Amino acid sequence: MKNMNLNLLVWRQKDAGSKGKMESYIAENISLDMSFLEMLDQVNEDLIKKGLDPIEFDSDCREGICGACGVVVNGQVHGPQRATTVCQLYMRNFKDKDKIVIEPFRARAFPVIRDLVIDRSSFDRIIMAGGYISVNTGGAPDANSIPVAKEIVDKAMDAAACIGCGACVAACPNASASLFTAAKISHLALLPQGKIERKKRAEKMVSQMDKEGFGDCSNIGECEAACPKEISISHIARMKREYFRAVVDEIEK
Amino acid sequence: MHLDAKVPDGPISQKWDKHRFNIKLVNPANKRKYTVLVVGTGLAGASAAASLAELGYHVKSFCIQDSARRAHSIAAQGGINAAKNYPNDGDSIWRLFYDTVKGGDFRSREANVYRLAQISSHIIDQCVAQGVPFAREYGGLLENRSFGGAQVSRTFYARGQTGQQLLLGAYSAFMRQVNKDNIEMFARREMMDLIVIDGKARGVLVRNLMSGRIEAYAGDAVILASGGYGNVYFLSTNAINSNASAAWRCYKKGAYFANPCYTQIHPTCIPVSGFHQSKLTLMSESLRNDGRVWVPKKSGDLRRSEEIPESERNYYLEQRYPSFGNLVPRDIASRNAKQVCDEGYGVGTTGLAVYLDFADAIKRLGQNTVTEKYGNLFDMYEHITGENPYKGSMTIFPAVHYTMGGLWVDYNLMSTIPGLHVLGEANFSDHGANRLGASALMQGLADGYFVIPYTIGHYISSTDLPSVTTEHSEFRVAEEEVSKRIDRLLSVKGEKTVREIHRELGKIMWDNVGMSRNKSGLQKALGQISDLRDEFWNNVNIPQTGNHLNKNLEQAGRLADFLELAELLAVDARERNESCGGHFREEYQTKEGEAKRDDENFSYAAAWEFKENDKPAELHKEKLVFQEVELSQRSYK
Amino acid sequence: MLPVFTALRSSVGKKILMAMTAFSLVLFVVVHLLGNLKLLSRNSNAFNIYAHKMMSLGGLLYVAEIGLLLLFLTHIIIAGLIFIGKRNARPVGYYMNKRLCKPGYNFIGSTTMIYTGAMILIFLVVHLMHFKFGPGIKDGYIKEVDGKSVRDLHRLVVEGFQSFWYVSFYTAVISLLGIHLSHGFWSAFQSLGINHPRYTPLILGVGILIAITLSLGFISLPVLLYFIG
Repeated sequence: MKNMNLNLLVWRQKDAGSKGKMESYIAENISLDMSFLEMLDQVNEDLIKKGLDPIEFDSDCREGICGACGVVVNGQVHGPQRATTVCQLYMRNFKDKDKIVIEPFRARAFPVIRDLVIDRSSFDRIIMAGGYISVNTGGAPDANSIPVAKEIVDKAMDAAACIGCGACVAACPNASASLFTAAKISHLALLPQGKIERKKRAEKMVSQMDKEGFGDCSNIGECEAACPKEISISHIARMKREYFRAVVDEIEK
Repeated sequence: MHLDAKVPDGPISQKWDKHRFNIKLVNPANKRKYTVLVVGTGLAGASAAASLAELGYHVKSFCIQDSARRAHSIAAQGGINAAKNYPNDGDSIWRLFYDTVKGGDFRSREANVYRLAQISSHIIDQCVAQGVPFAREYGGLLENRSFGGAQVSRTFYARGQTGQQLLLGAYSAFMRQVNKDNIEMFARREMMDLIVIDGKARGVLVRNLMSGRIEAYAGDAVILASGGYGNVYFLSTNAINSNASAAWRCYKKGAYFANPCYTQIHPTCIPVSGFHQSKLTLMSESLRNDGRVWVPKKSGDLRRSEEIPESERNYYLEQRYPSFGNLVPRDIASRNAKQVCDEGYGVGTTGLAVYLDFADAIKRLGQNTVTEKYGNLFDMYEHITGENPYKGSMTIFPAVHYTMGGLWVDYNLMSTIPGLHVLGEANFSDHGANRLGASALMQGLADGYFVIPYTIGHYISSTDLPSVTTEHSEFRVAEEEVSKRIDRLLSVKGEKTVREIHRELGKIMWDNVGMSRNKSGLQKALGQISDLRDEFWNNVNIPQTGNHLNKNLEQAGRLADFLELAELLAVDARERNESCGGHFREEYQTKEGEAKRDDENFSYAAAWEFKENDKPAELHKEKLVFQEVELSQRSYK
Repeated sequence: MLPVFTALRSSVGKKILMAMTAFSLVLFVVVHLLGNLKLLSRNSNAFNIYAHKMMSLGGLLYVAEIGLLLLFLTHIIIAGLIFIGKRNARPVGYYMNKRLCKPGYNFIGSTTMIYTGAMILIFLVVHLMHFKFGPGIKDGYIKEVDGKSVRDLHRLVVEGFQSFWYVSFYTAVISLLGIHLSHGFWSAFQSLGINHPRYTPLILGVGILIAITLSLGFISLPVLLYFIG
């Protein structure tokens, strides 16, 4: 099979304070078996050889689970293939001479650090606010002491599959982090171990999400479509119920 | 220096309990006066940081990723072992202990392994309490499966994402402590050096990967949980940023590095597709339960797999190992694949792959059952290779997966530098010469949740720790050295990129220090590594500067350390004149071509001490004594 | 722990208010349509009788009107806040932006809520100027109901709908209302946390059905009156 040449248009930005701009590059001799990030690796090798600045981007496991990578490819978060992180996107999805536009995830709460590298520490702070079960190490009861229905644990696992990549925020026209926040609230609220703190958790996590400067959820569904783990917005509905529960609890007091 | 493993006396089943009673405690009110620095936020690092913070210590945690949640533990698929014996199939602490020692080819420390097996059950309890959604039966109880050839079902799992779920559990406990201000988290920080003051580990220097600034942190003890060194082979199943630099810096400050030659090669990975390859992807070993491994009988057969008739196929594992067939252990399956490829029977564009065929399974079980069992793996395969494994055979090839070697630690997980504790894959671990499937997660969490919280208290309470600040001259000296090294890297401005040199190192290592090794190959490799190291320092081209995010510079620093570690790995492999587990020396094999141990001369952990001024590392031996299990030769014929 | 007022200002709370006002407004629109259908009655005074009955509610009517005003204001203000929030949440937009949208969800409706809403607001102002505060008895729009002189709203409507431009404007805006509702209906359920694998597709369908029925109902009046007179 013949290798391809591609025309790239890539966002370049020196640091958070600088203004960035789109710049064009040619990706030469790209094999169809390359992953998208391997294509960028090769472009960077060529840039370095020419004495130019390589394009900085985040990536780590390159098997779609760590959530480090993520760029917008031709207007689509993580590229054209559904249920796929960009590290698992292969160049056979493109044709010779294609124009490829590459941009970082865009949100106020995800400031650009350099080129395509963004700061997602806002996600850490949302988890910090309550995305846990308050148990210390040691003293946990036997793992089988509380049975959990298979259907429930499967549903919790669907939500827990979130890799925290930020695709939901990047794809949302409002830049809302509802799917990310909901996935954690939902995962823990479904399990008996997590039910004890459910009200406080929903309240704290939603409040932190709002503080970080994400947009509101308008139930558009782009997040679900872009999510590499296909997490459903039904979890957002559960987050709302959990929050509602916290409010009702307050009224009861 | 005499290596003292500090294994407690008494019967093996009581050692840990007795030790926990004997060790000194830190007064609860005093704990917050002590600062513990934790490098790495994988299973071992995150669980240790969280547990220590819960106890009241002040913890500072560092990771190279943008968030603690992304450490490479997250990529573990299969599961985590525990001697719960829920399925009532005869498992016990003793059996898990025995299997692990035997699986490690009798090159691990008995007492550590026994403790690991003892703790294993608590890990599952802890994880469930944290909300880890392990697979369950319809009745609501936890489900187990058998894994990696074990004869009992003791593996707990969460779909194919067990590592992710366990890590997110540890991460959530960790973030809870960050919220309580018991942990200070520093993401995108890479450890550049260990600060040793008065012979004790008292601080670290890290590079802020966003700004390039060198930052200093002082503490009362240091925990290193920075993972393994598989990326010394360039291509491995490790993450792009996985590296050995933190451990290597500690080695150069006096921590012994043990058994570097023990590397694990996983047999079922997706083969390399070309020069551009940046990492390898593992496919679950379970594929070998129903798949049949073969190569064409004719060398260089270019037909598609489905066009090659049965009579022209060589099912070499079934032929050579009639009783275990395709289910031989990882190292044997890997070595045989390499052998047939070396003989010229390899398939695929590179000739470095063998077939894994499911035609028989589909005929026997029906396509639906095969889809049910392996559907997600088949999809993943098609996704990556663009080939449909239902039609033709899959292609697979072994890849570097895990490194059993690492910094030497005693029973308390402390290295030869007082105060420096090493956890998880970064230490030379409990896996001996070969790790069993689903045991890495168990060890990482055992170290972090249940061992270090006790042993670090003992160190702190029994050690004189005068107050140290980052103003201390040791910090300044080290900082100057680190800056000088970075400047030196940046000033070379040669012809070759970091990646090109790393790829070359990988090839040297894979060809000569990989699945099967021999003296002359190792000798050759040592020369090549040394030449490549010279070339690196004279001809590497690192773009831009050091005062902003510069991933090429990061990788260059890591490669510089790999170029040194590679040498020690090859030396260790050359000195170990036997075959055991992940270390196979062609000169030492049985008539049937199996690994031949030499218990008389090599029943020791090889701990290497760094020597200044280019002098060769000095070998120290920790004699391994087996009182509980009887040494035996593995046979899978 | 969580004061109700704070809760209502949160991203979840705002959407709860949005949903509750939305349901109330849909109800109002349905009642409004049913009233409007009196225009098609053989008795050309039927609409005036209906209007008169409403007027004679006295104080109660004022309460209802203020309630309605509050519903609208809440709905509009929150929509504005969400719109501003969205702008703030993404200060630098995409160079290229392709929307995927999960199949089954209504894409045109969901991404245009603020614009369809704004058009409906403009229409609302025109509509109120025309009918609420428009020409009355002293301008000659008089009709007898139960022996009393009342405002001849029927004539006002019929006359209004003789203008091609007004009919076009009306039809266009009501179509936008339909689009607004096609997303708004199911979205309100989702905002209240009502989502179920079996019933959500049903709610989506019902929403679209309501949107079509309501807009066709409203549009039928001017079109009929324009062509039939």
